[in-house]
Amino acid sequence: MIKENTDLIKYSNKGLYCEIADIWIDPHKPVKKALITHAHMDHFTLGCEEYISTYETSIILKERIGSEINIKTFDYGKEFKINGINISFHPSGHILGSSQIKFKFAGEAWLITGDFKRQKDDTCREFEKVKTDYLISESTFGLPIFKWKEPQEIAVDISKWVNSTPDKTSILFCYSLGKAQRLLNEINKANFKNNIYTHSSIYKMNNCYRKLGINIVSTKKFDKTQNIEELKGSLILLPPGLNKGSYLKNSKDIQTSFASGWMTIRALRKRSGYDKGFAISDHADWGGILKTIKESEAKNVFFHHGDSEALNRYINEKESINVLHFDSKK
Amino acid sequence: MSLTQFSKLFLNLDSSNSINEKLEILKNYFSIKNDLENSWSIYLLTGKKNKRFISGRSLKKIFSDIYEFPLWLIDTCYLKVGDSAEVITLLLENKNIKKKKLLQEISLDELLNKILPELVVLNEDEKKLRVKKIWENLPKENLLIFNKILTGTFRVGVSTGLITKSIANLINLDEAIISHRLMGNFVPSAKSYKFLINEKIVLEELNYKPYPFLLASTFEKKVSEESISNFQFEWKWDGIRIQLIKRSGKVSLWTRGEDLVNKSFPELVEKTFFIKDDFVIDGELLVWNFKEELPMNFSLLQKRINRKSPSKLIQNNLPIIFIAYDLIELKGKDERDLDLKNRRIKLEKNLHKWINESEEDISKIFKISNLLFPKTWKEAENLKNKSRDNATEGLVIKKKNSLYTSGRKKGTWWKYKVDPMQLDAVLIYAKAGSGKRAGLYTDYSFALWNDGKLIKFASAYSGLNNTEITELDKWIRKNTVERFGPVRSVRPEMVFEISFENIQISNRNKAGISVRFPRITKWRKDKNIKDADTLENAKKLMTNKL
Repeated sequence: MIKENTDLIKYSNKGLYCEIADIWIDPHKPVKKALITHAHMDHFTLGCEEYISTYETSIILKERIGSEINIKTFDYGKEFKINGINISFHPSGHILGSSQIKFKFAGEAWLITGDFKRQKDDTCREFEKVKTDYLISESTFGLPIFKWKEPQEIAVDISKWVNSTPDKTSILFCYSLGKAQRLLNEINKANFKNNIYTHSSIYKMNNCYRKLGINIVSTKKFDKTQNIEELKGSLILLPPGLNKGSYLKNSKDIQTSFASGWMTIRALRKRSGYDKGFAISDHADWGGILKTIKESEAKNVFFHHGDSEALNRYINEKESINVLHFDSKK
Repeated sequence: MSLTQFSKLFLNLDSSNSINEKLEILKNYFSIKNDLENSWSIYLLTGKKNKRFISGRSLKKIFSDIYEFPLWLIDTCYLKVGDSAEVITLLLENKNIKKKKLLQEISLDELLNKILPELVVLNEDEKKLRVKKIWENLPKENLLIFNKILTGTFRVGVSTGLITKSIANLINLDEAIISHRLMGNFVPSAKSYKFLINEKIVLEELNYKPYPFLLASTFEKKVSEESISNFQFEWKWDGIRIQLIKRSGKVSLWTRGEDLVNKSFPELVEKTFFIKDDFVIDGELLVWNFKEELPMNFSLLQKRINRKSPSKLIQNNLPIIFIAYDLIELKGKDERDLDLKNRRIKLEKNLHKWINESEEDISKIFKISNLLFPKTWKEAENLKNKSRDNATEGLVIKKKNSLYTSGRKKGTWWKYKVDPMQLDAVLIYAKAGSGKRAGLYTDYSFALWNDGKLIKFASAYSGLNNTEITELDKWIRKNTVERFGPVRSVRPEMVFEISFENIQISNRNKAGISVRFPRITKWRKDKNIKDADTLENAKKLMTNKL
């Protein structure tokens, strides 16, 4: 079903857009005014005149891009008004500072979940249940084959993996922001005692988290001049981008792994070329998505991110919830 | 030993990328003494043709029925995962079934010898309930292996060679012996495993087993630095490689894939009995056109392989011959340590003798692979280039002083294949792959021009590297015109060079031709679809051949 142009929020080639407030949400191209759900770089673009986000997101963003931007911040739950529309941020549980954004106008509520997860994560605020009429959500892992294990189980697996081969250096690839800090927190809770090194991009984010009051276990900074082979028995956290090219080509006695929800699937594990995959994600799994839709009490749902066909059909047939599509021509 | 341990073995092997590590894992596993379980493990690990108790489709259907779960959703998941057993395992994990763990210690023998055979004979409803019961009672770590065994799709990245090596290492026996013992039908039992690891070597025990085949490597330029007189030259026949064995009054025909094919070729078995001596001969089986003295097309040979107990009419219409090229055992004596030159002399002498002294005419069915005598490497190359004229695939070049070693050992036999035929074709359909390529569009269909229209002529799966596959996958998603289930039609825009071994008339498809072993050899980004070949060009390749 294609909704008429009366929708409060639409999708355009630059991203999600609220016309009445004349504001964009996580635009991929420079615009006048942008609401930013969280500080991952695929949700942020430089060159906007004004940004609005949570305080945590603003601090992380500035740290990452290293330059001044015009950014205004609001606390979770605090309503602010733009052109008569009430807008508020609510924790989405994805990473530190990440938020859902709620719009209230003419008695109707719209909620953009942004990237979110329902699992517990000590490094950020827990997902807040928000009721809404219209829900715009993500479906990155919108298939029933995805069901996350408890993070402590994964932490134990990682610890076992490192300790099973003391004569090798274990390299765990993970996103520098969010995933790395969550993993460090979990393996620390699982009593991991080996040396931990982190790539400068992760090291920097750890410091940033600490500044924002999140306790992150201390790690040594890893730099390229260090000989990986001399760090046997240690765990090194690197961003996935470094798995390509010559970075590790000449290193012997290493074992590699990747922490991502996609590692659920054996074919992807095999294809990725890592020795091992840990299926842990900062996105909601199938159950998490369904639960969120139900709890939101939304009667109308949109999805973006990921292949949502299966999810659309399922909730339409099984849950009798109206699935709407953004008119892509607009 | 149990299903649980076998599951662990699978997990360990699956998460290791190092051959040495895998070898250690296998050695550890087999060092536990349980002959029966070990024999089942070998059966599963080397499984070329593991029994399928239920099809992947039925498995999905059973899950869908039991848990009232939409079948279309399972199919959508399958497109991402590429393996029915894995999809169902992941979905089961999402079901949160309360485990009773009654089947914790189930052995492979119980499973494969009792539980599954009993399951197969049940009617559909009983089958459903039985599978459900097993799912609910099996520890969750064993579900994947169970589902894979159930659907006959258990596979893990270890070669038979590595398994051979691990067992040979464990009992300090030569790999060749173990590999020989593993040839043919390995029937799992405590006895067969005991035989496998027996430190005493008794020749008779290997009576019906073929020897590990000597495999040719692809010809390398550097071979021609050696004197040509060191080599023996033969045509490379496009048939099926066969070890013809006659021992103690029994004849067996083994293919390179270790299938016993006596039933498909009864006339060869029958004629072999007219030979007095025992022997093992390595050679090629072909369907032969006696008028033209040329092999018939490979597809006709395939017809013969697939037909068990063929009628006299088929035997007449599609007559076979056996071209002998190596003698590896004579009158019970293993001749593999003799050099090729002398094996050849023995082969010629004996074959000649057998044909002469036989009461029945066996000269029609038994041929010897004729030798070729190029005087220079240039002449050898010319011969190779002409090989299509007599329907062969090129040359096999064998080192005269080489022994009959097992496997693909470089430097003994070389295959010098004629260049493939090639056409530039347009990509028109793509389908998601399975297994390792799940979720990626990797099965492609290509078309040629005919009267201004693109007509599908071949499908190909291989030839692109990983980077190209990812790039093409993205392109396909962006340029999809229509979707039919897992297949997408795409905008005709991309041209690929398709190579293949042979081309023939076919009335099974619209193009009216079919090609053998098509694969992509180049992504012709430089070409416009207007430059792609026509069906007429393709047919010209055919007439050239005859």
